[in-house]
Amino acid sequence: MGVVSPLGIGCREAAWALREGRDCIAPVTMFDVSKCRSKTAGHAPYLPSDDTRLHPASRMMISAALETRAGDPGFVPEAAVIGTTSGGMSDGEHYFRSQKTRHRSQAAMLGNYPAQRPVLDALRALGSAVPAQIIANACASGSNAIGHAFRLIRAGIHDRVLAGGYDALCELVFVGFDSLQAATTDKVRPFDRHRSGLVLGEGAALLTLEEMESARRRGAPILAEITGYGISTDNHHLTQPHPSGIGPEMAMTRALADAQREPHEIGYINAHGTATVFNDSSEGVAIAKVFCSRVPVSSTKGMMGHSLGAAGAIEAVFCVLALNEGFLPPNINYREPDPAFDLNIVANTARDTELRAVLSNSFGFGGTNASIILEAVR
Amino acid sequence: MSKLTCFIAGAGIVTPHGSGIESASAALEAGSAPPVSEVTNPETGRRHLIATVAPNFTAHIAREPRLRRASAISLLAATAAQAAVAASGMTPNSRTALVVGVSNGCAQYTRRFYEQIVKTGANTASPLLFPETVHNAPASHLAAMLKLDGATYTLIGDASIGVQALHFGNQILAMGDADHVLVVATEELDWILAEGHQLWRLTSRTGKCTPHAGGGTLLAEGAAAVVLSRSDGFARITTVPGHSIMNRRSAPHALDASLSQLGSAQPDWIVDGANGTWLDAVFAECSRGRKRLSPKAGIGEALGASALQQVVIAADVLRRTNSAQALVPTLGWNQQAGAALVEI
Repeated sequence: MGVVSPLGIGCREAAWALREGRDCIAPVTMFDVSKCRSKTAGHAPYLPSDDTRLHPASRMMISAALETRAGDPGFVPEAAVIGTTSGGMSDGEHYFRSQKTRHRSQAAMLGNYPAQRPVLDALRALGSAVPAQIIANACASGSNAIGHAFRLIRAGIHDRVLAGGYDALCELVFVGFDSLQAATTDKVRPFDRHRSGLVLGEGAALLTLEEMESARRRGAPILAEITGYGISTDNHHLTQPHPSGIGPEMAMTRALADAQREPHEIGYINAHGTATVFNDSSEGVAIAKVFCSRVPVSSTKGMMGHSLGAAGAIEAVFCVLALNEGFLPPNINYREPDPAFDLNIVANTARDTELRAVLSNSFGFGGTNASIILEAVR
Repeated sequence: MSKLTCFIAGAGIVTPHGSGIESASAALEAGSAPPVSEVTNPETGRRHLIATVAPNFTAHIAREPRLRRASAISLLAATAAQAAVAASGMTPNSRTALVVGVSNGCAQYTRRFYEQIVKTGANTASPLLFPETVHNAPASHLAAMLKLDGATYTLIGDASIGVQALHFGNQILAMGDADHVLVVATEELDWILAEGHQLWRLTSRTGKCTPHAGGGTLLAEGAAAVVLSRSDGFARITTVPGHSIMNRRSAPHALDASLSQLGSAQPDWIVDGANGTWLDAVFAECSRGRKRLSPKAGIGEALGASALQQVVIAADVLRRTNSAQALVPTLGWNQQAGAALVEI
């Protein structure tokens, strides 16, 4: 695995921050937010590069790719499946702003704009030119990418797939969520009664997925097993989930059926938990309905913000860390339960526990919902 | 298992000539160029020639409740998808998956939304525009229109994305996750796209696209859709994963590698993606000695929609010429080479 997020560079830094429940949200300085309601975001650490033209998204993807290489040098992918929402949008913004004057850097801005560029840059860093499927299913993209890659392997179509997601902060998306009044002026308080919205984040995460026997044969480090994937589409509204939670409910029950697991066998749910009124209500109702056993639930977005297309991949990495290190990541900034749904929130501090199976949720605009189940290796 | 095969049960296409394969086919047979219009950068007055799809070709679909405020890209997608579904006779249900391929996505709303931020301030940017800027907005509208609640995916990439989306759909069928997959590829244009492509010296100044003759390409709007079925259809289609291209020099190898994944095909036709740019030399190598059709001369370069348009046109060419096999090689400017084999 490899990860870059506001919690740090690499899995080690992420694990420490998760255990500490570190709040990594900070004021936005990379563009003007004076006319926005919300003024904070989760920023990934700066990643220096000799190539000054590299977009921040490419830098994060390359960093995550090289971490996967360091963890498993023998992994040679046959394909890549990567999720994103906005690609190199910030360079598209720079291009727009430079319309009146033509200068040479415009070509580089356009070169960085396509969503495929950071993916190709990461593959190049690995010395690979395998085909890349880039999923743009809004905020579910990262989980969809991992889920589809998992299915490719289980169906015998591929043995080794590089899967993950990325997104870098940009002005257009920041203002977009602000204009919808989905962004908060407060702290991010997932599932709290007085939650008032999300803050955006950024990052990249990659996981090396391999057919189990193939991985065992070559003595690869096996960190976890993906056992289930569920996808659903909620046609209620382009930006709002159905209040009944039917979309998340279908995704979670399909993932459970896919993994041949009962709800009580899941030891932890890493919720989508954006802290918007509508998302958390819909997801909370669905979790309460599917998991009557009061399974521990947390959203890690209170610590790092919502990294959109990267979120599902980053949170899958967090789930693997939780499985391997035996802890429940905390849901920080939590003060008061929402009476609309009865959940066992891992409030504010991490808990030590042994985990066998966990579920990670990601939901997005367009009504797309994805759930994946990860298990400790037996 | 690199190559996968299934059936095409229904197809639809929208080009600047209109909706339906008949108008595209008639234009290609007659050697007609697409109708061209001019767009202008309002800041600089720089003008560009592009081939758009007239609104009357998608007006009927704009009455759908979810499409009333939608951008052209969604209307184009829905028009092609509706035709493909109707032609297939399939009734969409929970076992119907949707895969939509795009290149630049909702360029018009994205440019307009950002323009508001820059010109009048972030606090005036319209919340009605932002949701339509999201790449999967067309897929969401299609899913709502067809009442699909299962797997819905949007893929993004260069001009090869239509065939990538076909392969993705083929994978979903091979996994057993769906009985049918509706694959759609769609693209809309805006002056900012025309200007960006002109900056890269990819577009023609004459408003013509002359494949295998250089001179640059003519950007076009359009869409295509096919219904994939595991068991039956009017054509068989084989797809491969393809190969990434890291730079222009690696493109010939990437296309060769993609074609070799298909195995030893002996196609009657090559329906290539030649568009008047540097891609043409790469396509020329793979069509040597075979009957070749370069449809972008007649319908323009529709970027994200183009590869699937090639596939729909290839199936039509086979029907009209009573031929058996058409090879569709695809290559974009900055991501991937791919290939599909269409058989009747």
